[in-house]
Amino acid sequence: MLDELANAVYNGDDSKAAEASRKALEAGIDPLVAINEGLMKGMSRVGEDFSQLKIYLPEVMMASEAMKVALGILEPEALRRGSSLTRRGRVVIATITGDIHDIGKNIVAMLLRANGFEVHDLGRDVPIDEMVRKAEEINADFICASTLLSTSMPYMEDLIALLKEKGIREKYIVMVGGGPVTREWAKSIGADGYGDDGDEAVRVAKELLQRRGTP
Amino acid sequence: MTSIWEVIDRAETGAYMEEVEFDLKVVAKRCRELVKEYEIRYDPKQIVTSDDSLADDVFEAGLRLALDSGVYCVDTKRLIKFDEYEIKEGIMSAPKRLLIGEGKDSRVLYARRVEDERPPIICGGQAGAAIPEEWYLPMAISYMKEPLIDMINNGGLAMVEGRKVRTKTPLEIQATRRELSMLREAARRAGRPGISLLAAESSVSALGDLAIASEAYMRRSDSHLVALLNELKTDYDRISKVVNFYEYGAHNVTLVDPIIGGYAGGPEGVAICFVASFILGRAMYGSDYHVCHPIHFRYMSTSAPECMWNLSVVGQAMARNAQFIIMGDVWTSAGAGSEMVFYETAANTITNVVTGTHPLGVSATNGKYPHASGLETRFMAEIGLAASRDKISRKQANSIVVELAKKYADRQGKPDIGKPFPELYDTAKAIPNPEWKATYEKMKKEISDLTGLKL
Repeated sequence: MLDELANAVYNGDDSKAAEASRKALEAGIDPLVAINEGLMKGMSRVGEDFSQLKIYLPEVMMASEAMKVALGILEPEALRRGSSLTRRGRVVIATITGDIHDIGKNIVAMLLRANGFEVHDLGRDVPIDEMVRKAEEINADFICASTLLSTSMPYMEDLIALLKEKGIREKYIVMVGGGPVTREWAKSIGADGYGDDGDEAVRVAKELLQRRGTP
Repeated sequence: MTSIWEVIDRAETGAYMEEVEFDLKVVAKRCRELVKEYEIRYDPKQIVTSDDSLADDVFEAGLRLALDSGVYCVDTKRLIKFDEYEIKEGIMSAPKRLLIGEGKDSRVLYARRVEDERPPIICGGQAGAAIPEEWYLPMAISYMKEPLIDMINNGGLAMVEGRKVRTKTPLEIQATRRELSMLREAARRAGRPGISLLAAESSVSALGDLAIASEAYMRRSDSHLVALLNELKTDYDRISKVVNFYEYGAHNVTLVDPIIGGYAGGPEGVAICFVASFILGRAMYGSDYHVCHPIHFRYMSTSAPECMWNLSVVGQAMARNAQFIIMGDVWTSAGAGSEMVFYETAANTITNVVTGTHPLGVSATNGKYPHASGLETRFMAEIGLAASRDKISRKQANSIVVELAKKYADRQGKPDIGKPFPELYDTAKAIPNPEWKATYEKMKKEISDLTGLKL
């Protein structure tokens, strides 16, 4: 049954994911176990295979969609039973102001989802105040900004300045990345984390969250 | 040719579609179907393929994708589609030869053939990079003074007037003007005032482009890039760039950079997407020539084996079936000052020159750091000219490229990023320092011995 859930997610099959979720509940499987041992295992395989280019972004997106459908069935039941869901963290992610290149950001968003993060993807060319507003609204752990343009990098600096100006810098883990963004530059603007690629972004996000002690 | 006004009409009235639907149900789905139908396979042992039928299949599949998909306008969420007549008219009317630059520095840029024995046009510069204003001029001179470099495509400016340039702000205008002013000044100082520029890299939105359509900045013999967004998309900023040059008359150049691992899928789907993008770039933007830039989802570099396979297959697909003028990017993971940059440059350049594209680079460190100079581009030119002069066949090229790729493929994730330009050159004289020159001489000999090319 758990394999069925994992496979439905891996294959990006919405209807099978929904069907397997209902069957798991009917069979008396703890919804938390179904999430962690079924759905998450499927997504984890997706992440691994994408990293090795065995599958591509569309497959990752479809798997993520199937996972969302299944979570829509399993999560309410888990909450009803008083389970505390083991999400790795809540993320607001966007391609920052002035930039419309979003595939790199989409890849990172998908890989974060595949690793259990709750991801709120605001899209591209997103003003920094909108990112902060969303982070405040959902009580996010992370604000992640991406760009492929060197001339949009200063907006990342502006994002951190705005958080400081509002007195909420310490509330968030700020991560930056994208084609021209370097580790040194991320450090120089006071970002908390940087990923040279999607895999590193996920690893760093996990480390930073663990260091912070949530959840 | 379909007029730009008709393109704008279609952007406003074409079929409405949500973007995610276009990404998944049009691009991803059709690329996957066409890869399967034409049985296109990436073979890491055949980076430079000699398989003519593979190239022809990729072209045919790309043509079908162009007809099926059209281009998605992200501002209006509508499809700009072209019929078969319009697509074929675009292909047939594409320039086969162009005069670029002025006076004694002008060159004929031409559509290369497979295994073409003619010397390629060498386009030099660290394209795509953000170059500090204080080094921009000497760095540009370091390329201009290389006699083997025929035209220039250097990076943009991250700062101007001592201030950071932010996209779509007034400083983008000044940065683009300053970039062009400095390139023109560098050309004069290098004694090559007429050298052709592929420029306005500081113009990320349409703002910068609007500000340089003047003989004082960008001449009509120069060119600017108009990207096709990933994958098979455009927006009003891109279309505005085309409209701005419509009456002005400088050259539009389609920048096509599909991502391996992205919506088009693996190397095979990306190859099909490339062909569709070039065809649609010509139909939509009226581009005179095109830039082929496969992006590796992790390393970015065009020197990654999957990317070079794309350059090879797509170059041949176009050369055999459409004869577009195409520049193939040479973007390395390593930086100037390293030894690794020479292996990547050699493999990437040989691939391009033998399979129908002119080399454009070296954009060392993928333009991430300003760790670049004229010297590694001199090497790119020497390799490119030797490969055509020595009449390297695709089969020979493949053996060489596969061996060269072994020298760096496992280091692309953690490359030697080298040193910044001022640590490699005497910036006042624009000459490489002895240490960098010695590395160049050493690697030139090593690669000449390894490849058999007379450099």
